[in-house]
Amino acid sequence: MVWLPVLVAALPLVGSAFAALSGRTGWAAAATAASAAASLLLAVVVATVTITGAPLASAGAFVYVDGLGGFFLVTVAAVVLLASLGSASYLAVEERSGQLSVRRVRIYFGAFGLFAAAMLAAVETANLGLLFILVEAATLASVVLVPIEGRTEGLEAGWRYVIISSLGITVALVGALFLFYSASALPGSAEAHLAWPFLLAHAHQLAPTALRLGFLLGVVGYGTKVGLAPMHTWLPDAHAEAPAPASAMLSGALLNVGMYAIIRLLAIANRGLGSQYGGRTMLIFGFLSVLVGVVFMIRRRDFKRLFAYSSVEHMGIIAVGLGFGGVLGIYGALLHSLNHSLGKTILFLSGGSVALAYGTRRTDRLGGVVGAMPWTGALLLGAALAILGAPPFGLFISEFTIVRAGLAGDQPWLVALLLALLAVAFLAFIRTVGGMLLGAPRGVHREPYRGSREHLLAVGPSVVGLLALLGLGLWIPSWLNSLLAHSVALVR
Amino acid sequence: MQELTLASPGGAVLSLDAVLILLSALACLGSKLFDRYLTYYALQSVLLAVAAATAAYLEGDPALWVLAGLTLVLKGWAIPAAARHWLVQRLDLKRDSGITTGLSLTLVLGTALCAFAYLAVSPERLAHGLLAASVVPISTAVVLLGALAMVVRRHMVAQLIGWLIMENGVFLGAITLTASFPLIVEVGIFFDLLAGFLIMLAMTTGLAERISPLPIGRSGRDS
Repeated sequence: MVWLPVLVAALPLVGSAFAALSGRTGWAAAATAASAAASLLLAVVVATVTITGAPLASAGAFVYVDGLGGFFLVTVAAVVLLASLGSASYLAVEERSGQLSVRRVRIYFGAFGLFAAAMLAAVETANLGLLFILVEAATLASVVLVPIEGRTEGLEAGWRYVIISSLGITVALVGALFLFYSASALPGSAEAHLAWPFLLAHAHQLAPTALRLGFLLGVVGYGTKVGLAPMHTWLPDAHAEAPAPASAMLSGALLNVGMYAIIRLLAIANRGLGSQYGGRTMLIFGFLSVLVGVVFMIRRRDFKRLFAYSSVEHMGIIAVGLGFGGVLGIYGALLHSLNHSLGKTILFLSGGSVALAYGTRRTDRLGGVVGAMPWTGALLLGAALAILGAPPFGLFISEFTIVRAGLAGDQPWLVALLLALLAVAFLAFIRTVGGMLLGAPRGVHREPYRGSREHLLAVGPSVVGLLALLGLGLWIPSWLNSLLAHSVALVR
Repeated sequence: MQELTLASPGGAVLSLDAVLILLSALACLGSKLFDRYLTYYALQSVLLAVAAATAAYLEGDPALWVLAGLTLVLKGWAIPAAARHWLVQRLDLKRDSGITTGLSLTLVLGTALCAFAYLAVSPERLAHGLLAASVVPISTAVVLLGALAMVVRRHMVAQLIGWLIMENGVFLGAITLTASFPLIVEVGIFFDLLAGFLIMLAMTTGLAERISPLPIGRSGRDS
């Protein structure tokens, strides 16, 4: 069965191949979307297999999917599918308007497939070295997407992204080396010493100094990818300058892949060093990120930058949930990562339509979007409420779970701090987005999409995403629940 | 896997080589000319190839010989040559004016980082069974020096070279300390490095066409 996860990760390469071989950009877009759909379908199958039985693993754990991997696999595959559908309409508009040449569109879809494949593969391996390679590969593929619209700001943002991420992730590799050292006195093969299941099973026997160093370096390194403060400085630029569907991938999928790596390391640290140590580390980074995200959301005038800082905030919330720990904390953190991915994908995709229609991302030059673009505006409004944790959307449930985990701990004042920060975030976000969506009409609106097919592609993914968020707020399917429970048991 | 100490000839060669790698990182940090950066990087890569070859000889591992050859050809020759041709000569880069701290301060910081690396990961605190535990703090120090170069230098090309030095530090750790490090992982890292270098090369030249002179030191823009 090991071929199944390999197939899931390899499928998006079909889109890349089409983009490389054919000059018809429509075909590349269709192939990308079709392969993403197939990939999601198989990812669900893989995840289901991991709940019912043992992990899908190859020799040396180069391929290894357990419940936790399966959960992140489904999350990433879902975001990839939504973003690939959004790409089809967004790129068609940009190609027609002459903003992007055919060559650039082909480069976009080529890199998109590589990016998706590397992310999917990253959550399917237990080998910490291979994990580094795949996360770096995903970074490099996504770097190509950031400056593709050809603005100088995009190139600068891309540079800052690649240089800071590469630095951070190299630190993570050093962390992996230290974990490898920490196990070197134990029996077993070299592959095993670098593989997560072995390290977890022998966490008590690992040399504590090397383990502590490996964990901290890993959190700082992958934290750079996640956008945990103070390593977040590249994130707002890159997420704002990339084309909207690529921003959705960066925010909705790649951040989760980094978080997945941190969760794996946290599991080892929890077993080997006691949950105090890892938990406190996550709380420090988590609260710092929520604080930085919220402060920079105040009076932000570029809505994509606003969404980007909101991602920093939400990654902080997830880290706080992991830091509170316990069944509730970890369950809430994992659920929150899925909810945030869906919400942020809708925000970026719908925001992209607004930027195409008005030719600007500045909220002080936008107004009354709901009146001019009813579907897109309504979706943005819904997603904004969802991302802010308003009921009845999924993020309300996951944030509530994290808060309950905090109240169960011995530092309830941390919960009060978190809630205060979330309230500020709510006001800052709704003030900016509310004015842009509901205020008096402002800005020149020109309908970007032509024909019902393009309209459907532009709006459809966000509708599906928002319905899913609504569903997750009302009811957690037993399938998802057992996947989450399985994952929590692995991390505690 | 036997443990190497300074007493054995193999351990002595590895340790000496590692010290030279550290010195070439410091030399790069203390330099102001782009051409020199590349010279020191190339020198460091050749020394890294020697370290890999020594480990390969001691372990009798053909995979490590391949890695030593790759290091020599790609890092010792191809990357420096490409950077010299496409960046230093084509963009006519001479003196690096984008250094935020003075050279003496940079070197003091660098030395402090070396001391920190030694205190944080002194060999006796690590698990036994390593090929040459004395190299751990040195490779950590090289990583930190590369990171320092990336932080204090604002010029894109200088940052790129800082990253390459960092990667050399990681490789020193991976090759000499843990000769048993899975080959597929090391080759993968190599591939990433190459792809990263090419992308950064393309971005640097792309930006140079728009903005000249090139120094990019702006931190995040917020509107």
